[in-house]
Amino acid sequence: MRENTHNDSTRLIYTIAGRVAAVAAVFAVILSILMIANYLQTQSVDPLNSTALETLMEQLKDNPNDTALKEQIRALDLLARKAYFTHLWQVRTGRVLLFCFAAILVIALKYRSSLVPRLPDLSEGADPETAWENRFMARKQVIIGGTALFVLAAVLGILSEKNMTGSSPGAVAGEEAQEAVSAVAEEPGAVLPGFEEIRAQWPSFRGPEGRAVAYSTEAATSWDVESGENILWKSAVPLSGFSSPVIWDDRLFLSGADRATREVYCFNAHSGDLLWTGDASDVPGTPEDMPAPTGDTGYAAATMAADSQYVFAIFATGDLGCWTHEGAQVWAKNIGTPENHYGHSSSLICYEGLLFVQFDQNSGGRLIALDKATGEPVYDIAREVGISWASPILVNTGARAELILSSNPGVISYDPLTGKQLWRVDCMSGEVAPSPAYDNGMVFAVNDYAILAGIRIGDPAELVWETPDDLSEVSSPAANNGFLILPTSWGTVSCFNAETGERYWYHDFDEGFYSSPVFAGDMVYIAEMPGLVHIFKAAEEFELVNSCEMGERVVATPAFMHGRIYIRGVYNLFCIGTE
Amino acid sequence: MKRTTLLIILTGLFILPELSSAQAVSRFPKPDFQTDYVQPEMVNPQPRPAAMEIMDIIALIGAMSLASWFVLKDRSRRRVFILMVASLVYFGFIRRGCICSVGSVQNIAYAFFNSSYLIPLTALAFFAVPLLFTLFFGRTFCAAVCPLGAVQDLVILKPVKVPGWLNHILSLLPYFYLGLAVLFATTGAGFIICQYDPFVGFFRFGAGFNLVLLGVFMLILGTVVARPYCRFLCPYGVLLRWMSRLSRRHVTITPDECNNCRLCEASCPFDAIDPADEGQKPEQRQRETGRLAMLLILLPLLMFAGGWSVSRLHKPLARYHFTVSLADEVRRQQQGLIPASSDKLDAFRSAGTTAEALFAEEAAVIGRFRTGSWLLGVFFGLVIGVKLIRLTIRRRREFYTIDRGGCLSCARCVSYCPYELVRLGIITPEEIITHERKHPQ
Repeated sequence: MRENTHNDSTRLIYTIAGRVAAVAAVFAVILSILMIANYLQTQSVDPLNSTALETLMEQLKDNPNDTALKEQIRALDLLARKAYFTHLWQVRTGRVLLFCFAAILVIALKYRSSLVPRLPDLSEGADPETAWENRFMARKQVIIGGTALFVLAAVLGILSEKNMTGSSPGAVAGEEAQEAVSAVAEEPGAVLPGFEEIRAQWPSFRGPEGRAVAYSTEAATSWDVESGENILWKSAVPLSGFSSPVIWDDRLFLSGADRATREVYCFNAHSGDLLWTGDASDVPGTPEDMPAPTGDTGYAAATMAADSQYVFAIFATGDLGCWTHEGAQVWAKNIGTPENHYGHSSSLICYEGLLFVQFDQNSGGRLIALDKATGEPVYDIAREVGISWASPILVNTGARAELILSSNPGVISYDPLTGKQLWRVDCMSGEVAPSPAYDNGMVFAVNDYAILAGIRIGDPAELVWETPDDLSEVSSPAANNGFLILPTSWGTVSCFNAETGERYWYHDFDEGFYSSPVFAGDMVYIAEMPGLVHIFKAAEEFELVNSCEMGERVVATPAFMHGRIYIRGVYNLFCIGTE
Repeated sequence: MKRTTLLIILTGLFILPELSSAQAVSRFPKPDFQTDYVQPEMVNPQPRPAAMEIMDIIALIGAMSLASWFVLKDRSRRRVFILMVASLVYFGFIRRGCICSVGSVQNIAYAFFNSSYLIPLTALAFFAVPLLFTLFFGRTFCAAVCPLGAVQDLVILKPVKVPGWLNHILSLLPYFYLGLAVLFATTGAGFIICQYDPFVGFFRFGAGFNLVLLGVFMLILGTVVARPYCRFLCPYGVLLRWMSRLSRRHVTITPDECNNCRLCEASCPFDAIDPADEGQKPEQRQRETGRLAMLLILLPLLMFAGGWSVSRLHKPLARYHFTVSLADEVRRQQQGLIPASSDKLDAFRSAGTTAEALFAEEAAVIGRFRTGSWLLGVFFGLVIGVKLIRLTIRRRREFYTIDRGGCLSCARCVSYCPYELVRLGIITPEEIITHERKHPQ
């Protein structure tokens, strides 16, 4: 009777334990499915890349003073953050609950099984002979495995030793670079343009040397696109791009691109006729997953470069190409997909048979010098800087040529022929987009939330003055004859004494500037974003000469040559001149 | 088979969400807009108070004492199990798996070769106490105190017998792992046992993706292959195995005598019970003796071959050392092969050390790895040679006996012995005799 009662109670406990285990299992399964779903959902929806937020941010760039829009962005941003942290809370809570249910399940199952002792399984007898055979087999396997292990270790060791002592191709520096340059320079028939030749052209972003100074031209100060006054010609540009025009003799070059196509265009500088279109869409190494530059950078933000023989273009994909002035492609290659959240915008520049690429990415900076005729690297130098969007400038100090790059944190000068660092001044911070300027032995670098720095070139270079107000985030400064002009993206333009940093004047225009100012004669030309080109005197007092409407947005920097101004709008290319 | 598959799927379903732990890193970029929010200052956590460390040691000794008592005196699997769960809670979830005896091997190894390193008392105690207890009482630490063992023990659902030959081969892995761990610790390259502890992610409710994945795999495997980490990976288990073989007292299947009834034969999920064996037959003896002699002669050659071949790997192995890896990065940066800025390079520059000094230090580390990898290879050769010798020797066993080295002292087998039932007063000795008469073997 007592035994029956005991059996009944054991059976009852056994049943209860089983049901507890079942309930815990059901809850654990449900929780597991919910957590997996939550995980997958969070993986698919990245709050950082909310398209709605990105769209609003784009709108904000066009309307930086729109308070309502800012509030909307803040609200959406807060929502995204809340979603993210709620997900974290769900994961943490889910883990604890899952642990509890799993613990209950294990305890219940273990307890349940303890109520019914496992009966010995004697179906398969332990045969000593089988055990001995197993040992025999194990011995063979240990011999084979041991031999394989030792052979593998030796082979791997020898192979890895070879790899570790080998050098990686494609990057040379210092003396090797100098030898390579010499080889290029001694190439029979090679024509290497010097500074005088460069200054007679408009070969790169912001003209000769990237200085934003038109050496040989005086330009029109009034025109009217609507009536055609002083508009010599106007040509549509097939694909959009924010790159600026470059000119060599009578040929003007531009790049344009969209997600699918990358092109370079050659226009007749006198007639505006499109002479040829070069295709750069099918370059070896083009990334399959296209980078996604922001709308105000696009795929063709970097300005081309030209010399007497070739023109060069780079795109946001890292595709880099070389064409003759007649449109024949000489070489094209991909130098690596830029790790750049806005899109690559550093422009190219040429000197002494070399093509220079400032390639400052999220993973670090590089200065790449390529043989212009072959595209082969002459040197590829790692730079101790962060990502930047600025372009290099070439400086002739009278004693030597210097290639100067601005980035975060360093403004760094290199010997363009060898890549050797000449000097460095750490004074920048943030996302550096404005390119440096140069005048009379001084380099000027700027970035929003950093400083405007006046650096005297020397060994070492010296930070002479700095100022923290009204700084540029996109537009580059320009300096000439002791005047330093600095526009900003919210519409102010400041003029400084380049020697001392003293501000001569400050003027607030209505909109804002992405385009950079250019000195032409004693005037400064600058295009405001809505398409209004302002002309004012380079003087200690602000004196506006004229403001001319282009009829479309202008972001690119004008080119000055042949006594004319070439301005790229978002749709058309304009040639402005009096004859 | 279907039930086993279902169990594995269910276990996987419970454990897979843990993968999300790997993603739950609390990182989020700062807001784009400037606010008046002040970032809190970074605060370094305080070290654990010394008194609490003493408490840990006391807890360890207490747990070891209880475990030994429950295994050897009480012979109670239930109490061992309860203690095991308690140890899992304290040493696993409360102490978050640190410090553990398994990892303490590295502290000891590091202390041996680095005079400037003052080994913590807890590390010393957690290394020595289980070994001492094992020397006297067998692997009671594995049975009821080790949290890594406990978490695996809990998920044993349907253990299968690993084929004998495979069991022998896999049992070599802990030796290799131990050798590598000691090499890395003594050279200062890191504590790989801790870095690749598959269960620490569960104890801390979060770990790297790969580690969580490894832990999940181990637990799923553990439902059918009992305690896979303990048997086929645990480097501390190697030392415990040695101690246990020499143990003064060890748990026995029977409290009295063995009548070869075979009831305990399949009770051990760890395949640590050896059946009775008549030993080598005369025709085998001569052949195996010859093989044994050859192996003994070849043993030094095997050790040399191991030393030479593994020493070829000293440079690749040295790359796991921070100094060597940093020097390599500096060199590659100098050659312009990689960008100039990285956390590692920036930190190196800010430390003010010259590249030449770094390269000199690198050479010294590589030298240590050269010696270390020679010794490691010799150890591998020795382990393989001794294993071959052990596999060649066939001992005579009159009764079912426990493999002292492999036995985890879990006390599962004891309740299967009829003499244990006599000891507990459940049956009488006469009942055994009567049963034997009715069912002669």
